[in-house]
This record gives sequence, C-alpha cells and structure tokens, in this order.
Amino acid sequence: MFRGLWRSVGFLFGCALFFGTLLLALLAPAFMTLDVGRRVGLAYMPPSREHWLGTDHLGLDMLSLLVLGLRSSLYVGLLAGSVATVVGTLIGVYGGYKGGLLDDVLTVLTNLFLVIPTLIVLILLSGSLEEGRSLTLIALLIGSTTWTWSARAVRAQSSSLRARDHVALARINGYGTLHIVLLHILPYLLSYIFMVFILQTASGILTEASISMLGLGPYDSISLGTILNEAIRNEALGDGAWWAFVPATVLVTVIAFSLYIINTAMESVFNPRLRK
Amino acid sequence: MPIPILEVKNLRVHYLTRFGTKVQAVDDVSFKLNEGEILGIAGESGCGKTTLVSGCMGLYIPPLYHSSGDVRVLGESILGMNRERHRKEVLGRKIAMIPQGALNSLNPTRRIKDLATDMLTSHDGGAGKREISERLTERFERIGLDAKRVLQAFPVELPAGTKQRVVIGISTLLNPKVVIADEPTSALDVSTQKSVIRLLFDLMDRGIIASMVFITHELPLLRHVSSSIAVMYAGELVEHGSTEQVIFDGRQPYTRALMGSMLSADPGQRGRKPVAIEGAPPDLKHAISGCRFAERCPSVQGDCAQTRQLLRLVGERHVRCNHAS
Amino acid sequence: MLQNHPTLKHVFGRAGWYFITFLVAITINFFLPRLGDSSPVDLIMARAGSNLDAATAREQEETYLLEFGLVQTDPSGKILRDSAGKPLRTSLLAQFGRYLELSLRGDLGTSILQYPRRVGDIISAALPWTLALQLPTIVLGWIVGNLLGALAAYRGGVIDRVLYPIALLTSAVPAFCVGILLVYVFGIQLEWLPAVGGYDEGMLPEASWSFIASASYYYVLPFTSIFVIVVGHQAIGMRSMCIYELGTDYVKYAKLLGMNERRIVLYMFRNAMLPQLTGLALALGAMVGGALVAEMIFSYPGLGMAILTAIQGNDYPLITGCTLLITATVLVANFAVDILIGLLDPRIRSGRPSAGPTGGDTSQPGAATGADAPLMAVR
Repeated sequence: MFRGLWRSVGFLFGCALFFGTLLLALLAPAFMTLDVGRRVGLAYMPPSREHWLGTDHLGLDMLSLLVLGLRSSLYVGLLAGSVATVVGTLIGVYGGYKGGLLDDVLTVLTNLFLVIPTLIVLILLSGSLEEGRSLTLIALLIGSTTWTWSARAVRAQSSSLRARDHVALARINGYGTLHIVLLHILPYLLSYIFMVFILQTASGILTEASISMLGLGPYDSISLGTILNEAIRNEALGDGAWWAFVPATVLVTVIAFSLYIINTAMESVFNPRLRK
Repeated sequence: MPIPILEVKNLRVHYLTRFGTKVQAVDDVSFKLNEGEILGIAGESGCGKTTLVSGCMGLYIPPLYHSSGDVRVLGESILGMNRERHRKEVLGRKIAMIPQGALNSLNPTRRIKDLATDMLTSHDGGAGKREISERLTERFERIGLDAKRVLQAFPVELPAGTKQRVVIGISTLLNPKVVIADEPTSALDVSTQKSVIRLLFDLMDRGIIASMVFITHELPLLRHVSSSIAVMYAGELVEHGSTEQVIFDGRQPYTRALMGSMLSADPGQRGRKPVAIEGAPPDLKHAISGCRFAERCPSVQGDCAQTRQLLRLVGERHVRCNHAS
Repeated sequence: MLQNHPTLKHVFGRAGWYFITFLVAITINFFLPRLGDSSPVDLIMARAGSNLDAATAREQEETYLLEFGLVQTDPSGKILRDSAGKPLRTSLLAQFGRYLELSLRGDLGTSILQYPRRVGDIISAALPWTLALQLPTIVLGWIVGNLLGALAAYRGGVIDRVLYPIALLTSAVPAFCVGILLVYVFGIQLEWLPAVGGYDEGMLPEASWSFIASASYYYVLPFTSIFVIVVGHQAIGMRSMCIYELGTDYVKYAKLLGMNERRIVLYMFRNAMLPQLTGLALALGAMVGGALVAEMIFSYPGLGMAILTAIQGNDYPLITGCTLLITATVLVANFAVDILIGLLDPRIRSGRPSAGPTGGDTSQPGAATGADAPLMAVR
C-alpha cells in the first residue's frame, strides 16, 4: 500500500518542497546570524551582497525576518494542525464508534460550528485577548476552531469501520472499547488521520497568516503573516519594495502547495476509486 | 441448422492494471445460443464472469480491451462496428443486460419514468412523449408492477425486489434478442429471488426476449433455470454441457468441486458434508501454460500444471481436462 | 400535514436548525469580545487615555460605557450612579439581553471610531461593495470551476493533464497571496489596472455611467484574485467527484443500455454537482473570510476594509456588527443551498445519506471535498 506512495511523483515532489522549507527553517540559524534586533540600514534597501533580501520599512534585515517568520509559521501550523487533528480524531472516533447520546450532541455541536466562519470567531477571540496574544496561544486558538472539520471527516470513517466484520468480531469476543479502538479502528484510520493532519497544518499556516494580515497577529513573534501585514501597512507595494513581500508570499504559497499536493497524492493512492 | 441468436467464438478479453500489467480475464471462450434457450454460466466470483458480459456485449471501455475472437448476433459480428451504430442497434436492442447490483444501477436522482424514457429516446429519437408514457405504463404493468406509482418514484423510494423488477423492465424495453442476466438474484432474499426468476421465464414465454444467458455463482440454482450450463474458471470455460450432465455428472474436477461445495436441501443429502475448495484461483497477471485448476485440483496428476488443457468432447459435453473421462 | 410533505418537512427542519445556529452565533458574537479581563471600554481608554485629562477621560469613558450598555440608566437615558458618583454597572446577563433585543431589531449600536455614525449606516455603505465583489465571483467561479472539472474528468487525456496541475496550484495558493502579487505586478509595476480602491478617487458613488465604468475598471483585479482560487478549488473537487460518478454502477448500466453519451454526461454532471453544492455551502463562510482579506489588500471599500479599520481602532461595536452580519449572511446562504439540495436530491429528502465520496458513511478514505475543506477555511 505504502509502496504506491513512492511511485507517486506528486507525493515525492510535495515532500521535497515541504522538507526543503522545513530544513531552511531549521538549519538557516546554523549558517547565518539572525539579526532582527537592530537596524542594519535605511528603510526598504534593495537586496545587496550584505543583505540578500534587503531591509524592511524599519531598516531590519529582511532575510533574518523571513527565516524567523518561516519558523513561527511552521510552528503555528504544526501546533494548530496537531490540536485540530487530535481533538477532531478523539471526538470523531468516539462518536463514530460509540454512537449514542453523546455522539448526537457532539455531531450537532460539530455541524453548528462548521457553518460559523472560523475567521470570524478568530477575529472576535483575538480582539479580546490582545494582551496575551502569543504565538502559541494563536496556534491553540486556531486548532480549537478548526477541529470541526477533522471530527466530521474522522467520524464518517470510524462509523463505517464500526460495521466491518473484524470490529464486530472483536466486540463479540468481549474486548473493551479502548482495546477495539486502539487495535481495530485506529490502525485503519491512520493514513486518513495523517491526511487530515496535513491539511489542518496547511490550514493553520494560512489562517495564522490571514489573521496576522488583519493586524491580529502575535505580539511576541514575527511570522510570515506579520511580515506581510507590516509590508502592506507601510507602503511596500506602492514603493515597489518587492523584497518586502514577495519572498514571504512565495514561502506561504510553497508550504501550502506542497502540503496540498502531498495530500492529493496520498488520496489517489489510498483511494483507488478516485483514480482515473 | 438455424443461425444461432448469439455466437461467441474464441473470445479473449484482457484489461490493463494501473501499472500496465496485462490480465487475460477471459480466455478462449466459445458458445452458441439458439432461440428459446437459456445458457447458465457458473463460477466463483472473480473468474471473469462480469468481464465476459462486457465482452459479449461488445462494450470495451478502457482499461478493458478486446484481444481476439468474435461475437455474432444473428450471424452479424458486433465487434469492430461503428460505435454509434453499435450503441443504437446492438445495445439494448439486440443484447441487453440485467446487472448484478440492481440496487445501485439506477441513477438515484432520476425518476423511474425519466430513466426509462432516456433509454427509449437514446435509441429512437422520434417517439412522442405521450406514446412513450403509454408504452412504459403498459410494459411495467405487464411485469407486475404498480406502474403509476413506480414510474413516478425515485429509486430510493422502492424496495430491493421492486428495483430489480424495474431494472428488468428497463433492460427489456426494446424486446432484445438476448438478455444477459449477471447474478440478477444474488442480492435478493429467497422469495424475491423466485419471483424474479419467474418473471424472466415469463418474459421469454411472451416472446419479449428470445434467449438468455444467466450468470451466477450458485451452480445448483441453474438446475431450475437453464437448458445448458457452462462452468467458468479463471477466465476459461472448463465444462459445457446440458444442465443434467453438468450438475449430476460433472466430468471436470472443478465442476464436481463446485457442486460438492454447495449446500443442498435435496433429500438423501443430509449426511453429506459440503467440501470447500481449498486455495484460491491463480493470479492471471502471469501467463499460465498448464491447467489453471491444477493447484487446487483433488485429482491432480504430474503433468497437469505444465500441459495445456484443451476443451474436448467427453461423454457428449465439452470438458477442459486432459484426464477427464 | 408535514408527514405528507417531505419537502416542506425538510425546509422547516433546516430552518429550525439554522435558527438555533444563529442564536449560538449571536451568543458567541457577544461573549467572545468580553472574554478577556479587560472590557472593550478599558481597551479603548487604555489606548486613548494617556494624553487626556482626567475629566475628559471620565466623560469619554461614560459615553462609551453608555454606548456598550455597560451602565444602568433611568428611562430617560441618564446614567444611574451609586453614592460615590460612580456609574452603576449592568450585569453581563442584562447586557446580553439588551444586546439580543437591539440586534434582533437591527440596531447594531454606534461606531466609536467614526462617532456618531451608526454601525448600521457604515455597514450598509460597505455591504453593496462586498456583495458586488464576492457574490458574482464566487458563483461564477463555482460554475466555471465545475465545468472545467467535469471536462477534465470526462475527457481526460491532454486536457486533464494540463488543467489538473494548474487547478492544483491555484487552489492551493492563499487568496491574499494572489492578491498581493496581482496588485504588485498589474497595478504597480505594469500600471495596467488600478491597484487599490473601488472607484476613481475624484468620484462619489452614484448611479452614473462614468461611475459604473470606473468601478468596473477597479473591479478587475480583486475579482481575478478571488475568481482564480474559487475556480481552482471547485475544479479539483468536481474532477474527483466526476471520476467517482463515472465509476458508479448506474453509469455503467446506462452505457450497457446503450444510452447516448450526452445523457450519460448529464447524469454524471448532475449527480457530481450535488455534493459540490454541499461543498459550496460549507465553504461559503470560509470563502467570505478569505475574500475579506483580499478586500483589505485592494483597499476595497467593503466589509473587509470596515473590519480592518475597526480592528485597528478597537472599534468594538463596528467589529461585532460586521461579524454578526457576515455570520448571518453565511447562515442564510447555507440555508438556501440546503433547501436547494433538498429539492434536487431525492436521497436527502427521504432522509438517506447521499452516496459519493463525501456522502455520509462511505468506507473509502479521502473523502474528496470533506477532506479538502480545512484548506478552504482561509479562503
């Protein structure tokens, strides 16, 4: 089953792109000094030998900002993605396997929060938490508003597994719920949950960028979203200072795109019915 | 001798897997069907029955391909025909099929009336709305349905047995010469099964359909249905003879195994234990030179796995086993 | 009576469900901004407070307190005070009651930043721009995307191999990235099209031809930035949906019956469309969010801009007014789509889950639209 993945061009390409950016974020500090604490030049200085990506509106080194921003964005994405996936999986698996009253309540809640726009909730929340809006808190907030998608998707899968013979057999043999869920349900859902995680991570990165663009970003960190927000607020577009926003835009796009094609490739390998 | 209604001559059909491997799903199948005859084809699931249906109908949609051989209806080959002509004049009109899973065979978002109308107008653009409606009502009533209600319904609103009748009704709207019924009863409960089979007989008696191929995995069922039986294994016909011959006096080891593995309610069978056929059919991705059943055969002999087995006449029926007598 | 009218029953059921959802949304809208320790008024005062003398500050604070309904008043609207002269605060529950009452009457309060403009007035000035930008874009993008997706799935071959990667790319690019790049390339570098704003600065919104011409000229870039993404996303969804439909038993049966190609394509298209409609309904809210960000980039005079300025100025009545309106619009749109699907899909009406890769309890992993959905959360 997994062999198919390594034959898939899309999967390999996506992985190469994503791990490329991940390595950039992790290894760049080892090869260069990230210096965003002081001005290294005038505002919006174009790229030069000393400052490969020029400076921002304050005269800070753009490349350093970008690496830091990339690290924060990946951190937010992975944390938000994990929260959304774990919460969604717990609720989804429980609801799908157990059923009953609690499942009904959870399903109603899930569907309810599905139709209320996530971004709106985040705007309202971020506004009231101005004082302590740290990067981690933002990631947790994103995760706690987007789990509904995972819950819904995982629930559908686990409730279909419930009807399978091997699960019925385990139930008849008197195994407990935990045993059945861990040994007979989760293993079958793993590839699916992983796909959900990939999408939720991409979604987390994009969502953080969106609310940071709105000026509701973290107060304690630089993210790709806050870089873009600063650039737009400070006329980088009008001044033609492309280095202030193009690299960040491209990075966000590359991360989202790579995760997206990893998901698409996995989907076509694991789900033959969607294959041409 | 009259021209047979359906004649399949050395038909071979293959498909390609996702990685381009060729699988010969139907290999060298031949049979004839005359007016009024019912041919039963029996075999385990995965033996190529359903591929054979597409092959016989001349409908080759990639990854399914015609390798060689011919299919003739009333003497005229239907393979290599112009696609549009094949669709209009052969499908539904000369050969029709009744699918395996009638439950999912009806477009869920279309009323039965519209589905049936689509079928008619696809073949004959000229008919008026009124005329079609009358024709449908008349036909649906004849097959024992509450035409007024059923025609207005969506598929989800109908019970399984009714749906199967509807499918039979739609498939036979154009009075086809041959009907290929692919496991028409296997998804139904026993009492509905019977009424569906009775309906098929009835359609033949009234001359709406001229002949039938009845495909099933339940060999004993054919005893009550068909005039002759062909047993299929791993893409080949392994025995082909009259119903009595095949069911009570099978000469090919697989035929006998198939009968032996069935449960039966016949008197005198009480003490007999059903014998399962051990193992699984061979993987057709690799060419097999010898007997395809050799691995599982209870009476296998030294040379079986290497020697090509030819279909030969044994006791007035065709058997594909060099050791059969 | 309802028992005999499945359609009517469906409509009433959905209406009730959306009403409850709306109540939850309005509750969230009220309580979330009040979650933190500091009330909105404290935040505003903290920003403005330092350079005001004490008397002005108190006066202003009381104006805001009154505006937010945080203090008790007598029937004439005067603030009730305790013995020390401090205003009497209202309980949170009482505030909520008042908020509910006013909101349901359509009174969204007064803007702080643009005092004394009413929030309702600000929104009704911005709303037409947002509607004019987003509604046609999303609907048109949806239609074009579905046609392209169906074409790619049905025709396959070269068309599919070209369309699919392009759609994959455009659907994965975040809305604001497309916006930023479009503004920079076409608006600023090439100067082909105006980069920001909704119409020529020298004009006033009016129903004249020259104004409409100007507005359409300014429309091109924001439209394109959202359109491209919606098309990409819908095309991908529709493609997998169509591939799924083409493999179903009913399509095979229709082929075996000798039905003509056109009819089979229609079958496929219509049935693939139904889950796409659900996808659209679920994605609408998300799309609105993403399109708001796009509006910001283009300084388009719609709700997105209104929210942005409100956020920057901590104008709480305006923020909650906008969010409430957007939520309500999304709910109404969802409701409309739900009813439409109910009318078109007999499976939903009879209470059974529709088949297809996204439908209820299908066993395959990778429910096409269902799993893509989180990514749309920011579009």
